[in-house]
Amino acid sequence: MKNPYEAIPATILKTMDETPNIRTFVLKPEQEIPFLAGQFVELTVPGFGEAPFTPSSSHFKRDTFEMTIMKVGKATTALFGLKAGDTVGVRGPFGQPYPLEKFAGKDIYIVGGGVGLAPLRALFLALTHEIDKYKRVFLRYGARTPNDIVYRHLLPEWQKLPKVDIDLSVDVSDEKWMKKVGVVTCLMEEIPCDEKTSIAVVCGPPIMMKFVNQRLLDAGFQGGNIYLSMETNMSCGVGQCRHCRLGPYLTCKDGPVLTWAQIKDIENPFV
Amino acid sequence: MQSLDRLALPEAQRDQWLLKLLDKHLVYIPVLYEDRVHWRRLDPADLNPGAGIAPALRRIRASEPVKSFMFNPRQQVGAFPEKLDPAEPRTRVLLGVKNCDLVPLKVHDRILTDGEFKDPFYVAQRKNTILVAADCPVPEESCFCNLLGLTPFATDGADAVLSVSDGDYLLEVGERGQELVDAAPDLFQKVDDGDGRIAKRDEGRKAAVAALSRINPKPWNPDLAAAVAAKRKDESFWRKHAEKCVECFGCLMGCPTCYCYLLYDQVREKGLDRTRVWDACYLAAYARVGGGANPRAEFVKRFANRFICKFSDFKNDHGMFACSGCGRCFKACMGKIDIRKVLAEL
Repeated sequence: MKNPYEAIPATILKTMDETPNIRTFVLKPEQEIPFLAGQFVELTVPGFGEAPFTPSSSHFKRDTFEMTIMKVGKATTALFGLKAGDTVGVRGPFGQPYPLEKFAGKDIYIVGGGVGLAPLRALFLALTHEIDKYKRVFLRYGARTPNDIVYRHLLPEWQKLPKVDIDLSVDVSDEKWMKKVGVVTCLMEEIPCDEKTSIAVVCGPPIMMKFVNQRLLDAGFQGGNIYLSMETNMSCGVGQCRHCRLGPYLTCKDGPVLTWAQIKDIENPFV
Repeated sequence: MQSLDRLALPEAQRDQWLLKLLDKHLVYIPVLYEDRVHWRRLDPADLNPGAGIAPALRRIRASEPVKSFMFNPRQQVGAFPEKLDPAEPRTRVLLGVKNCDLVPLKVHDRILTDGEFKDPFYVAQRKNTILVAADCPVPEESCFCNLLGLTPFATDGADAVLSVSDGDYLLEVGERGQELVDAAPDLFQKVDDGDGRIAKRDEGRKAAVAALSRINPKPWNPDLAAAVAAKRKDESFWRKHAEKCVECFGCLMGCPTCYCYLLYDQVREKGLDRTRVWDACYLAAYARVGGGANPRAEFVKRFANRFICKFSDFKNDHGMFACSGCGRCFKACMGKIDIRKVLAEL
């Protein structure tokens, strides 16, 4: 019987600083992790604990994968002390992927905040890899300052992709910033897609998720078409230990992405 | 149990049978220490004349929940970077499991064996454990299995059901329990339907049910799951009970159904050991995320969560309550919070 608690070793091939406190780790696991965009893995930082992260690279290439991680707690602080050649542990994939079959033929309106762009990147790459299947892909992304924007070097390339429309904002600008200033909802005053049928996908800090979700609802998006990445404490990742319970769901098993229609009756889902 | 073979073991033969079982299995029995029952691993020397150790089958459940045998309080479940090589556990016989410990194993089966991911350690220990249920003829004031619709005797889920009648053991054995009889077939007698010991056993069961009705005369709300769910956000309701809680978590550690656990790693000289330990939803850090946010930062929310989990969520998810009325939570509680009284208000 497979042991779901045991991690397999993965070598850190490379690290890339995205912002002062966000870093991308390129990992090569001993065995391929067959993830799909939206699923997560449990990452063990040996001696410092384990935490869930969603791969941020394309699921069309899985011999290596990337995770973009913010230094925030004990395990991530220890992770930032590791370098290329060091070993971590991974187990997974766990959770449900984005239901891409439901996205076919539609506009996909992606809204990210801060490090929340990390899991959205896996989705974005999956969509643009087979862009003919979808109508258009919009990406609206907000960061605190221009220096806090992740994937800065990639965004100009993404903008050149066919059927892709990207817009950015920062809360606090500097003298070089030419785009909008304000929280990410300032990019949502006009939503250039059909609100009745389009898919919205949101990931970011809880407070951002709350306001973006409200803006989408006000614009007329259907609750079942708004996909939200929910953050809960997880331990097992496999639907047993119950830490990640959110209303009637286990975020690790039913999520980590849930629709607004699923969570609308839960008290304070964005904590 | 599928086929029910009904047998009797005369009182005088009991220890011979237990010795036979010890030839092949580890055997655990409930034993009375002072005024409390605890599980004891039977040693052949326990059966020497004058040792004074015998299964305390007329008493209520032991202090330790039976889940501890399969879902260990602390279990190494992994190693890193090399893999853990789990040892095959020896078969065990638990002789004298009360229904309020038997039913909760269904809760653990649901969580640890029925899903997409299975707990190989629980599965192995469950497989290697032969469960002999025993009637619970003398309920105590803390017992409330009747409020959960359960009986003080096993109806399913055991490999054999044991009743004491006139000092003799009456045994109903299912497929797997048969090997316990086969260990010493000459000691057992076939029992006919008309045997007086059967009638006496049934009288004893009726008396136990009647005693439970006297202890807990008033049923709970017939739609308890909905009633609990309706109070989900009513903090004032939970607060008046939660105020008495000293956060010792004794209720959760003694609970036969609670299945929450935490994985954590211990550093070895070279690599890690991964351990699964029981966790408690009353702990402040239970739902706290890496950045520090906590959906149940206030204790009253964590207190309510325990009731919502046991009596609403689990019922909705799995069609059963995650409570068997064993009363351990109430007995352990320093604040004297009686789960029955909380639920009676709904």
